[in-house]
Order: sequence, then C-alpha cells, then structure tokens
Amino acid sequence: MNGWTGRILRVNLTTKTARTESFSEEFAHKWIGGRGFAAKILYDELKPGIDPLGPDNKFIVAMGPIAGIPAPNTGKTVVAAKSPITGGYGDGNLGTRITEHLRKCGFDALIVEGRAERPTMLYIEDDKVEFLPADEVWGKGTFETNAWIYAKYGKGVGVLNIGQGGENMVRYAVVRSLEGRAGGRPGMGAVMGSKRLKAIVAKGSKPIPQADAAGMKKLGQDDLRKVHEMDKQSGWSIQSTNGVLAWCNEVAALPVRNFRKTQHPDAWKVDGERLNNARIATYGCPNCTMRCGITIHDDAGRESELDYENVGLLGPNLEIFDLPQVGALNYMCDDYGIDTMSGGCVLSFYADAVDHGAIPGDIKFGDAEKFKEILTSIALRRGEIGNLLAEGSLRAARKIGKNSEAYAMQVKGLEVAAYNCKFIPGMALAFGVSPIGAHHKESWVITFELKQTSRDSYGPEKAQKVIDLQRIRGGLFEYMVSCRFPWIELGWGLENYPKYFNAVSGLSWTLDDFWKVSDRIYSMIKLFWLREYPQTDRKLDYPPAVWFDPDNVDKEGPIAGRHLEYDKYDGLLQHYYDIRGYDRRGIPTKATLERLGLTEEGKAAEKFGALT
Amino acid sequence: MKITVKLIGPFVQLFGFGEKEMEVAPATTIDGLLGLIAIDKARPKIITRNGLAVGTDETVENGDRIVISPIYSGG
Repeated sequence: MNGWTGRILRVNLTTKTARTESFSEEFAHKWIGGRGFAAKILYDELKPGIDPLGPDNKFIVAMGPIAGIPAPNTGKTVVAAKSPITGGYGDGNLGTRITEHLRKCGFDALIVEGRAERPTMLYIEDDKVEFLPADEVWGKGTFETNAWIYAKYGKGVGVLNIGQGGENMVRYAVVRSLEGRAGGRPGMGAVMGSKRLKAIVAKGSKPIPQADAAGMKKLGQDDLRKVHEMDKQSGWSIQSTNGVLAWCNEVAALPVRNFRKTQHPDAWKVDGERLNNARIATYGCPNCTMRCGITIHDDAGRESELDYENVGLLGPNLEIFDLPQVGALNYMCDDYGIDTMSGGCVLSFYADAVDHGAIPGDIKFGDAEKFKEILTSIALRRGEIGNLLAEGSLRAARKIGKNSEAYAMQVKGLEVAAYNCKFIPGMALAFGVSPIGAHHKESWVITFELKQTSRDSYGPEKAQKVIDLQRIRGGLFEYMVSCRFPWIELGWGLENYPKYFNAVSGLSWTLDDFWKVSDRIYSMIKLFWLREYPQTDRKLDYPPAVWFDPDNVDKEGPIAGRHLEYDKYDGLLQHYYDIRGYDRRGIPTKATLERLGLTEEGKAAEKFGALT
Repeated sequence: MKITVKLIGPFVQLFGFGEKEMEVAPATTIDGLLGLIAIDKARPKIITRNGLAVGTDETVENGDRIVISPIYSGG
C-alpha cells in the first residue's frame, strides 16, 4: 500500500509483549493518519469511563502519509490518549526524529497498552522491540534523560520522553523530544508516566513505501528550498512566533494578570524584538527550514527556548517582564516536562485566587522566585499546594470553591493559550469548540476577525471561518502529519499538500476530499466526548466565565467597557453547530454521521446518549 | 499633525524603526502613510488605529497611534 507502511505496532507494558498488526486500505483512506488514526483507535478500543491514568488507557503515537518524508515541515508526530485533564479525547503534535524512524521501522502508528512494573524505556529498531529498564533516569528531567539516551544510541535516533511532571502524573504533563520540542498538552506525558514509560526510542532503516519516490524526493527538496526562500524574504524568523506579542498588546488581546487585563505598558520588554536581541541560537524540527525556537540565557545561565505562547503565559500573564526570568520558568517547565501554557495559567490562577482571598498564600503577581518554588512543588507533587495545582486549574478551583472556577482560564479542563478573548468572540468560539479543550492550534481566527469583520459581530461568518480553519489546522495538518507554519505564516499554498499526498500514495485526491476527512474526525471526536460525558450539553463549548463578566472589563484602551455577551455567544455557537450539522447539545446528528460514513460509530455512541 | 507609528515583528528590521512620532499633513490617509514610510502596499498586513482595525482609505487624526503588523496566524 503506497503512502502507508500498512502496519501498526502494538506493545503491552504489563506483559512485555509486542505484535504487528496490519490495517486495510479502506481504513487508511478514511482516517489518513495522525489524529485520524488516533481518534478512531481510541474510540474503538477504549472502554468509556476508564481512568485515564490507569492501565486501561492507551497511548498512541501516530504518523501520517507524508510524515518523515523530506518536504516542507514534515517532521511531526501526533501523540494521543484519553486525557487526564479533560476526561475526553486528548492529543498533540511535536517535531521529533521518531517520525521518520518509526516509519522506517515499518510502522504508521504505535499503540502502548498496560502498565510496566518498573520504569521502562521502549526501544524499537526495525522489527526488534525491547523493554529496557529506565530506573537510572526515573526522577530525572527531560534534558538529562535525553542526554542519557543520546549517550547510549547516538544523536540520530528518534526519542520521546517525559520528565518528573509526567512521572508524577501532573495532569498537564507533556511528551518531549529533541531537547526543545514538546507536545500533548492534555496530559499525554502523564499518561506515559502512569504507564511507567520513561521514554520511547526508535531507529529504523527500511524505505517508506511511496508510489513515486523519485518524484517525491525532487518535489520535496525543491519545495524545502522555496519555503526557505519565502521565509528569508518575509523576515518571519527574525522574531518568530513572539512577533505577535507586541500586536496582541496593541489590540488588547494579551493575557495579563491571569487574563484580568489585556494590555501592559511593560509588555515591550518581552516582545519579539527583545527576544531576537537576546537570541543565542535557533532550533527547529526535522525537515524544517523556518525554525521557530529561539533560545536565550535564562537567569541561571541555562539555554531556554522560547516562543510566543510560553512568553505570553509565563511572562505578562504572571506580570513578569524580564526575559531571563521568563526563560527560567520556561526551562523548568521543559525540564520537568510540564506544558508551559497550562503551567502559566495554573500559576496565574493560583496567584489570582490568593489575591482574591479564596485561598491563603503569600504569592504575588510578578514574584518570579515564588512562582519557581510553586512550579517545583507542582512537578514533584510536593505539599498541599503542589498537589492541588498539579490537578489543573479547573479541579483546583472546584476544590477551593468561593467562585474561583469563574477565573480558572480553561475550556473542558484544558487551559487556554495566550490570547485574551475578553472581546474577541470568534477566537473565544475557537477555544470553546476545540475538540481537546482550549487550544490555539485548531483555529486561530483573530486576524480575520479584526481585519475582515466587525470585532463585536457574532455572525455566521465567524463560525464558518472557525470551521474552515479547523478543517485545515486541526484536520489536514494533524492527519498528514505536517507543521502548519509554511502555510499560515508564509502563505505556502495548501494545494501543495495534495501533491505530496498523491505522490506518495498514487491517488488523485483534491483538497475537497481532505475536508470531508477533517469533518469526519471532528465528529468522531465529538462521539468520544459524548460517551465520556453522556449528560453533555452546549455549556461544554463555552469559554471561561471571566470573559463574560461585566466587572472584569478593561477600564481604558481600545475595548474599554466591553466583554463577551452570553446570549450572543450562544447564538454564535449555534451558527457553528448548524453549519457542522450538530444538534443543540453540540453532538453530530444521525444525518451528519451518515454523510460522513460514521453510522456504525454513531450506533456505538447511542448506548451512552441518544442521537437526534 | 502629530501621530505615532509602531511597526510589529519583522517590519521593524525590514523598514528600519520600531516606533516613532511622525508629523503628517491633515487629511493624510492610511494609504498615504504607508507611502511615507515606504511599506510595500501589496504586502499583506493588518493596520490598527488606537487598537482597532482601520481601512487604508481612512484618514489619520492628530494623536493617533497607528500600528502596522504582518498578518500573523497564531503559531
């Protein structure tokens, strides 16, 4: 089967067994790879209601048909499982050499089951699978663990690993690779930790089956050069993603003080210009020519890799405006293997709760040293506060009470990314309907919203744009699997992706074929949520309450006095459901499921909640 | 008439300044301002006045803060 190896590796950590399974061409065409494979496998194989941190959960590593093949930004892999922070479907992607290596071992996906008795490293070399002891690095950070693996196998191998955050099952622990890449915000690192799986290492040597390998090689190499040239001309890499920080501050979209404020006069101190000036090196993923990871020296002299999301949430959101201090918090998150975004939101939630007298404490916004102490307590689950905050902001708020849930900045339990939507309805919707909890990767609609629509519009054009972007960002790029940056930041044409897909598969697909796959996967994930939350209703797709709060409006600036309005947001959400073919609870209707080829999956969900 | 112009992201390096005050004639449009600071009009960008989006045919007013940014797409 060209385009796919046609094989999945299934390992069981309890029994220390491994077996290879094949999948059909029909399965491949219906789900493509990455997020598509992961969603379908988890839906079919997980019993609803299982403990995400128990041995019954499954950890998936899934690549796509163009993943690992030299072409613009194809070095990514999806990691997925039932999420310990949301209780629903969870996934994320990261750049890693394991993409290429696992495919060269002859696999399009890896399913990890069970729980190891001792800390374990899974080593895969072509058809050989070994369950190796990892006691030596259990309790160590991701940097030391990665170095330990490189010392054993060399720097060329593919690695996924976790730090203490994952080991201690911090619910927003991530999976790490390449000493700088992280993925799986909804606690995918915690799932690895729950299985006592410290690392996965892969080394492959087989060719990846392609219909036109020579044609793809030339196409990929030519396009890598073109994207590199576009990047140089645009200047995008000068400030990389952090260029957007100054813009967010100007348009009142920056998270400041746990999203209480949208602008700050000192924001310039941590903006893209300052980051570029402090740059000591630049890093990227395999097959990438527009490397986005800018490193600086943190306040302890360590090399810390920053981008907008972590600067925004560990900087202004905590009222810290010193790049080396932001770098230190970021380095600690990376080393512990904790998501920088959720980490920043959980810390800011705690400071806000103390500030409002909901919980006693001596933390104050801006106190970087105190935030470092708390971060360590979280990663090591040390003490009452460390354990409380390791559960994430929603669970912590429910335990604290005193209306603190209103300012836990999360959707479905997953904390929001660094865009303050106090008065940006379309982006608030994008967070609300993201299939894994609040995440910017699915649909980033702010510039469309501000440039091409009225900011206070709640019209169907915004819902349609959110869906258009979901089809591309949360769909195409998540199942191919490939980084979206060349398209979104440089304007590299979407029409190139069917070209790559057709070259490796021998098929003749168009973009319209892909949009149907995207819609199928989004509906599949909705069914996953329905099974886990049978009483689900549209409130699950609401953004944080604080954005609706008239007492939380900006006192000055471009959106002074403005906030989201419940009735209007609900109308916008209904536009989204109508276009998608979902019912009033936000669940795909039977007709939608039939149109997308999900009739059988719908029947399996109906035992848990009636379909309309 | 005095206004403040701020550039965002790579525009800082590409056009040589981050933020500056400018003296412009009354009735200067955003389009006219782009000409004054030699920014390619065809280049995709988003422009705001005092934090809110503004069209290129609109005129600037005394004290305005004009921000010119490439179109970011959110990482």
